[in-house]
Amino acid sequence: MRHLLYRLLHSAVLLLATVSFVFFAGRSIGDPALNILGVNATEQALETLRANIGLNDPLPVQYVRFIGGALTGDFGVSYRFGFSVLPAEVLRDGLGKPVLPLVLDRLPATFFLAGAAMSVAIAFALAMGIAAALWPRSAIDRIVTVLSLAGVSVVQFWLGLMLIVLFGVTLGWFPTTGYGGLEYVVLPALTLAARPMGRIAQVVRSAMLDELAKPYVTAAKAKGASDARIVLVHGLKNAAIPIVTITGDELSALLTGAILVETVFAWPGIGLLLIDSLNRGDLPMVQAGICVVAALVIAVNFLVDVAYTVLDPKVRFKEAGP
Amino acid sequence: MDNGNPLKALRFHCGRSALGAALLATLAVASASAAEGTLVVAVNQEPQDLAAQGAYKEINAPGLRNVVETLIAADPVSGAFKGILATDWEVVDDTTVRMSLREGVSFHDGTPFNAESAAHAVNFVWSADNAFTIQEYGGPGTITATPTGEHSIEIVSSEPDPLLEFRLSLNGISSMKQIEDNPAAHFDTPIGTGPYKFVEWVPGQYWSAEFNPDWWGLSADDAYGTGEPAFQELRFVFRPEDGARAAMAQSGEAQLAMFPSPSDCAAADGASGYKCVAGPSDTYLYGRLDHSLYAPEFLRDPRVREAVFLAIDVPSLTEVIGLASVPPGQLGPAGTVGFNPAVQAYPYDPARAMELMAAAEADGVDVDSVRIEVVGRDTTPQISTIVEAIGGMLNAVGIDTDVKVQVPQAFNPRVRIAGYANEPGRQMMQVHVRQNPAGDFGITLLANYACPDEDNPTGPSRSSVYCDREFDAKLFEALASVGPRRNQLLQELVKYVHDRHLVVPLALLDRAYLIDSDLEFTFGPDHRIQAAYIVRNE
Repeated sequence: MRHLLYRLLHSAVLLLATVSFVFFAGRSIGDPALNILGVNATEQALETLRANIGLNDPLPVQYVRFIGGALTGDFGVSYRFGFSVLPAEVLRDGLGKPVLPLVLDRLPATFFLAGAAMSVAIAFALAMGIAAALWPRSAIDRIVTVLSLAGVSVVQFWLGLMLIVLFGVTLGWFPTTGYGGLEYVVLPALTLAARPMGRIAQVVRSAMLDELAKPYVTAAKAKGASDARIVLVHGLKNAAIPIVTITGDELSALLTGAILVETVFAWPGIGLLLIDSLNRGDLPMVQAGICVVAALVIAVNFLVDVAYTVLDPKVRFKEAGP
Repeated sequence: MDNGNPLKALRFHCGRSALGAALLATLAVASASAAEGTLVVAVNQEPQDLAAQGAYKEINAPGLRNVVETLIAADPVSGAFKGILATDWEVVDDTTVRMSLREGVSFHDGTPFNAESAAHAVNFVWSADNAFTIQEYGGPGTITATPTGEHSIEIVSSEPDPLLEFRLSLNGISSMKQIEDNPAAHFDTPIGTGPYKFVEWVPGQYWSAEFNPDWWGLSADDAYGTGEPAFQELRFVFRPEDGARAAMAQSGEAQLAMFPSPSDCAAADGASGYKCVAGPSDTYLYGRLDHSLYAPEFLRDPRVREAVFLAIDVPSLTEVIGLASVPPGQLGPAGTVGFNPAVQAYPYDPARAMELMAAAEADGVDVDSVRIEVVGRDTTPQISTIVEAIGGMLNAVGIDTDVKVQVPQAFNPRVRIAGYANEPGRQMMQVHVRQNPAGDFGITLLANYACPDEDNPTGPSRSSVYCDREFDAKLFEALASVGPRRNQLLQELVKYVHDRHLVVPLALLDRAYLIDSDLEFTFGPDHRIQAAYIVRNE
């Protein structure tokens, strides 16, 4: 429990550091008032807005206000996306559409894509890694090595476009882009799955090679256990720690990688929203989006730590003390 | 009705493509067909909102004019203003336009379109308090509209405004009831009078509209386009990536895809099922050198400036850009008010450029200190290639350069007088784009060459890096003039700018579409995507 509490505290500090970075980085990329009102605004209008939304306050005051807002889920209102009031009201009262609900609305699409991609990646990675470990230095092993290296190395943007051309345009098997039924998720999920599939397959191969060479495997064989049971129950369970670790890492990377893939495939998730908001200079939306993604990544890492305690008795014993 | 508007020649120039002829040839056939099927249009960005004011510029909200109409609009083929919700109008003087409105028209919410609702919409859109972005096309005065009868209004500019008619062609007209009862909905649920009724906007994915069987154009003899749109539904899907839009057209998922890359357009040659159509826009790429206000002395020498421009191979540059043509020596085509046929484009003459630099050096000009900072904004298509190419051309004649591409947050302040004043001694050549939708050089000259007011860095000449009181005197006389006098004065000013080597036009940018082979699409230099101008080949 102490280990988990420590990890929880570590996660909270990390999140605070990330939110702080987002705040200061955001203040360095231009005048928010100019972003809201556009290049044709008068200096007087800009000054009025700066005063109304607190941009003239000292930076520490703005920082404390931002952190306080972030803790309560208030990241401000969108500067440019989905106006819900007249620009005059934005100018006069600092009103607008709150950004956090707009960001959260996009999360299900990102989760759907990330979930599909991770499912594909894990399924293929396990099959490839186990096969390579069962027949080391064989043709299968070499093919798995090449595929996993290609998966890790390929540029997602390029892979996405190639899949669109091949399966969307040439063969017509799947929609090229967009969001809808299951057929829409196939190409973006394959694109996003390439990297985690490659990395996880490499770790599965390595971990399974280690486990399959251990004495308990010989003992299990001597007892007459089936090959499938030895590999899938005994070997895979004991190889789980590094696999869970790398899967957690890759899930975090997947969330950030989704930004690029969502843009290529016009997948309406948080990544596409972030890119769109960046292009429009919508600072509150960008801040909220980054903070939400950061919180998700930190949460995933925390869950991986929790999984360690379940999977690895040494962690529990170490916590319990001598 | 053609009121001799200056846009006519411009738009006719742009309508030179075969598309216009194709449309006219197919109108009769198409008008007999009923609306059916869905037209899927892959657009390059999600609208910021769908407020009626956004109808002034197509890129704000592609397709919005299918839902929200204007009082008058430029015909995409002839360029002449055509009555839309106004049936007739009279330009009374420099400040006043009177309009007769179409009767029997209803908004999509069932409320009547009449003088009261029309005047309300005009006043709402142009209100300074509302601070809409349409103000970028605002005139010298405040525009207000007043009902003068059940179906007639008078629109007045508080200052003489020869382009008032043009401004009214930008003014989206939407439901007065919605604005008064639920102004928030005005931004995401447009209610207009157009041939299509707004259905839904799914954030991040698309917005859609359905055929309006009550559209006034179905029973009017003077409706625009086909008079009977060919599609039951319109769906504008958001695809920011060029490749994704092209793939949708290639696979048949979209019948129309906006702004493909030059290579995607070229790939459509010989392709089955889709084709690429392109036409000129009203957007120019130019290079503008820092000048009199804070530029170093050697950069003010006309020989140095001319040498810089002569060193640029403009025809080759347009080939590099693709989907662009060589511009005339001024930032507008023949037909633009103020176009000066005597002003010729700079020839590519590197030998002459080197001679000029040598001559300047011989006269004691410190040419060794010339180091031109060629800067573009990253939102300009292919800007990295463009500034690199210009940098290479200048280097080839011995002119040192720094080449940069900057994000808008860095670039925009630098091309304003406030930013320029913070960089005295700068030698920047901004490579940027400028639209000239009004077909009149007055706006461009005021914005780019009139003396900026450094105490009011948001004034109309905030982007000027030039100041010459003699020029200003003539410019303001031109801006207050109309007809041949205005044209003559602006022509003189265009030559004045050219003779001082202030700017080099680099390209007239085309815009292109990938479109289903069975469709014909007519568009003008404002490139509006209106289903009424898209017909099926029968």
